[in-house]
Amino acid sequence: MLISFILNGQETCLEIEPDWRLIDLLRDKLGLTGSKEGCGEGECGACTVIMDGKAVHSCLVLALQIRGREIITIEGLAKNGELDQIQSAFIKNGAVQCGYCTPGMIMSAKALLMQNPHPTNEQIRIAIAGNICRCTGYSKIIAAIGEAAGN
Amino acid sequence: MEFHKERGAIMANQISDQFQYVGKSFPVQDAWLKVQGEATYTGDMVIPGMHFAKLLFSPIPHGRIVSIDTIKAEALPGVIGVFSHLNAPISAQPHRHTDGAVGACSQLTFNRYRTIPQQELCPEDESLFPETVRYVGDRVAAVVAVTMAIAAEAVKLIQVEYEPLPAVLDPRDSLAGLGAAIHPGGNLLHEYHLEAGKPEVMPEDSITLSSWSRAPKMHHAAMETHVCLADYHPSGKITIYTPCQGAFGVRTIVADLLQMPYRLIRVVKTTMGGSFGGKQEPILEPVAAFLARATRRPVQMIFDRPETMVSTMCKPVTESTITTTAAPDGRLLDCRVDDLFDAGAYATSSVDHAHAMSKKILRLYQIPYYGHRSRTVYTNTPISGGMRGWGAPEIITAMEIHMDRLAKKLALDPAALRAKNLVCPGDLDGVTGMTLGNARIRDCLEKGMISFQWTKRRARTQDEGRFRRGVGLACAAHKNGMYKGFPEYSTMILKMNEDGSVILNTGQHDVGCGTLQAMKLIAAEGLDLDPEMIDVLEADTETGPYDFGCYASRATYIGGACALGAGQKMRQILLQAAGKIFMVPSQHLATDRGTIFIKGAPERRLSYREVATKAAMEFNMELIVTHTHYGTSNPGVYAAHFAEVEVDTCTGLVRVVDYLAVHDVGQAINRMMVEGQIQGGVQMGIGMALCEELKIGADGRTINNSFRKYDVINAPDMPEVKVLLVEEGGDDGPFGAKSVGEIALVPVAAAVVNAVNHALGSDLSDLPLTPQKIIRSIYGVKSSETGVE
Repeated sequence: MLISFILNGQETCLEIEPDWRLIDLLRDKLGLTGSKEGCGEGECGACTVIMDGKAVHSCLVLALQIRGREIITIEGLAKNGELDQIQSAFIKNGAVQCGYCTPGMIMSAKALLMQNPHPTNEQIRIAIAGNICRCTGYSKIIAAIGEAAGN
Repeated sequence: MEFHKERGAIMANQISDQFQYVGKSFPVQDAWLKVQGEATYTGDMVIPGMHFAKLLFSPIPHGRIVSIDTIKAEALPGVIGVFSHLNAPISAQPHRHTDGAVGACSQLTFNRYRTIPQQELCPEDESLFPETVRYVGDRVAAVVAVTMAIAAEAVKLIQVEYEPLPAVLDPRDSLAGLGAAIHPGGNLLHEYHLEAGKPEVMPEDSITLSSWSRAPKMHHAAMETHVCLADYHPSGKITIYTPCQGAFGVRTIVADLLQMPYRLIRVVKTTMGGSFGGKQEPILEPVAAFLARATRRPVQMIFDRPETMVSTMCKPVTESTITTTAAPDGRLLDCRVDDLFDAGAYATSSVDHAHAMSKKILRLYQIPYYGHRSRTVYTNTPISGGMRGWGAPEIITAMEIHMDRLAKKLALDPAALRAKNLVCPGDLDGVTGMTLGNARIRDCLEKGMISFQWTKRRARTQDEGRFRRGVGLACAAHKNGMYKGFPEYSTMILKMNEDGSVILNTGQHDVGCGTLQAMKLIAAEGLDLDPEMIDVLEADTETGPYDFGCYASRATYIGGACALGAGQKMRQILLQAAGKIFMVPSQHLATDRGTIFIKGAPERRLSYREVATKAAMEFNMELIVTHTHYGTSNPGVYAAHFAEVEVDTCTGLVRVVDYLAVHDVGQAINRMMVEGQIQGGVQMGIGMALCEELKIGADGRTINNSFRKYDVINAPDMPEVKVLLVEEGGDDGPFGAKSVGEIALVPVAAAVVNAVNHALGSDLSDLPLTPQKIIRSIYGVKSSETGVE
């Protein structure tokens, strides 16, 4: 079936299978491998993308559900090679180690700041509650998001 | 030193300005790619024409495979082949088993922990596709297909008939001889005794205390699941792309199993999304390589989360009974440890792992006599393997919980009891006789006590209400590399390009913690060159130098020392070359960040680029060095951790509300990443203490084989972890650096458990301290714990 949607700012039209998940569409069909599959059941957050302004687990969204919607993936954050503030803050604050949780973590942060440009520390923690990181202990991730928010 | 409330405050003993790069903070070398989703992990790789493999796993804990019917699976369109013990690799010669019996020429057995040819303590009891399944999750068969989905579909069509055998799931039952023999030699895999010192008659006023504790079966929970891509070339060469910790070890095992020369197996270490020991052993690689050769195509294998949790490896269940005798003032006179170690269904690394547990306590404490008995048993449960610290978290957790109990019995403050017994700089390791080097654990304890306001918090009146607070501490020791007991060296090749930039070719394996960035900084310091001009290559068995691998906390201590040596050697060569150009003896020259000048006449200066080009074009000099660093020491590395918890006596939930980690690191190489590793270790240790446990049901299945039911600590529940570094150098690591990645986990669980016990006045030691166990303890309901007094 043919679906139309906006992907990283671009109008897109694609032939999809009804049983595809959004993560399959992104990774296998479009080669956008930035979103990772860490668990396949919406628990780890490594697959997080933004759909109509909200952070969602792309492993739990069916591809056909994005028809007519706007999707932002990690690949769509940097504009013309210039990193988003969150991306720069992650680098600068040591919030990146193995990097596997990083795309999903950044997308959760992006969704938060799109809604709430100046979150408290607590609000940041809750926004990334669905993103597991096994490397950093979260401290520097929270510091990075706080810095990107201008806190 | 004052207690700082700043978020993530770091206070080093001396922030070094003596170095240009070392000791400062840098992101990991590929952070720039990772934040854009542009880092390529093995599961992101595509080789044109590649096929995909999915495995069939055993649904029963123990049984013989009576028949395998693969006809329907093979008939599914898109299926290339189905493999099982019926067509698995066979030995050309009769195989001698570990118990001396000679086996038929059917199944080639191996041990996936055997990194080097002729390695000790590696019973070979595993086969690619066994004829007898030994745990729920054991490999039974593999399907190779043109898509992952078809492979998964075909797996469901394989029909297997099993003859179930009695299973034993609990290590105590296995020790007692219940259940059927899982391997020909019986279920007691290994019994081991170690003694250090001589047992003496104990003085009359001495006090003896015995206590028991248990560390749970845990999932490493790296965010990247297990994955491997084996590429087959028509020439017969197999290239294995794998996020591994020992590429040369992978080669050894795969080549020996497939009976191929080592030069035809190339192993390339790829970007890794975390390991923590879970990817230290070749688990998928032998299977993928076999399938690639059998189908003559590249084969990609990706385990999903449940498969990774069950069918790779997990941290072992260990039970430790520790009996110490102490003088009334707290000095330890005698310490006996009795360990029960659950290897799971196959031996792999468990024998060595059990040995490792006997070598930690005497790195931390001075004890005149130490006796250690350990028994390792097979059970029909998921295979045990090393997790971050490799035995140290298990035994130190047990010891530090014991020390708190002893402190209670002796009416001593827990910190005071530690201070009576901790090692001092220059002390000898009671087990190996080696010097512990500049062992700064006492500094860690003292500085930590002041910063954490230990005495004040410990003396606080106990709350009576619903929420009870408590504080606990734990000390820890670990090592730096494998020197003594195993060969220990590292080789690197450093070459300078004509433009003055550098490629450092290493056998390193970055597990995600920024090892390559650290190598850059160290080489940069040695070479006197901007780290951005240096590129560091990771392990590639074909194009790179030999290296044992990234484990045993050797990457910085040994690998980093090698990088420094290589950088320094190259700098000398550049000085020689510049000397020729300036027509001045090289002693009269100095370097300054990629330039060389004449001392006293700094305007006479050449860039490394100019020197490199002239050397290549006029002096017939190639700027390349090969350097090998040999380990000749293995000092202790230390930490003292302090935790404050709040226990909700209504729900049994525990929150860690404050945490301080003090680490004796010698010299931080990349300061920000040293803190990051410590903070990450604390997340893992809190999980070990409070909520992480892989549970095996009565049918042998892993009940909680998903993140939905296996709890790890998320951001809202994580405390702010403050880090203090003690940097007194003094040992043989680069710039005095010692390890941090593994020891970061070692003291955490005990610090948290000790804090909970302080809050409740309890003696809990059966990890994890789940809400159920806490509630039972508060309301006096008996649990299954056996506390021996």
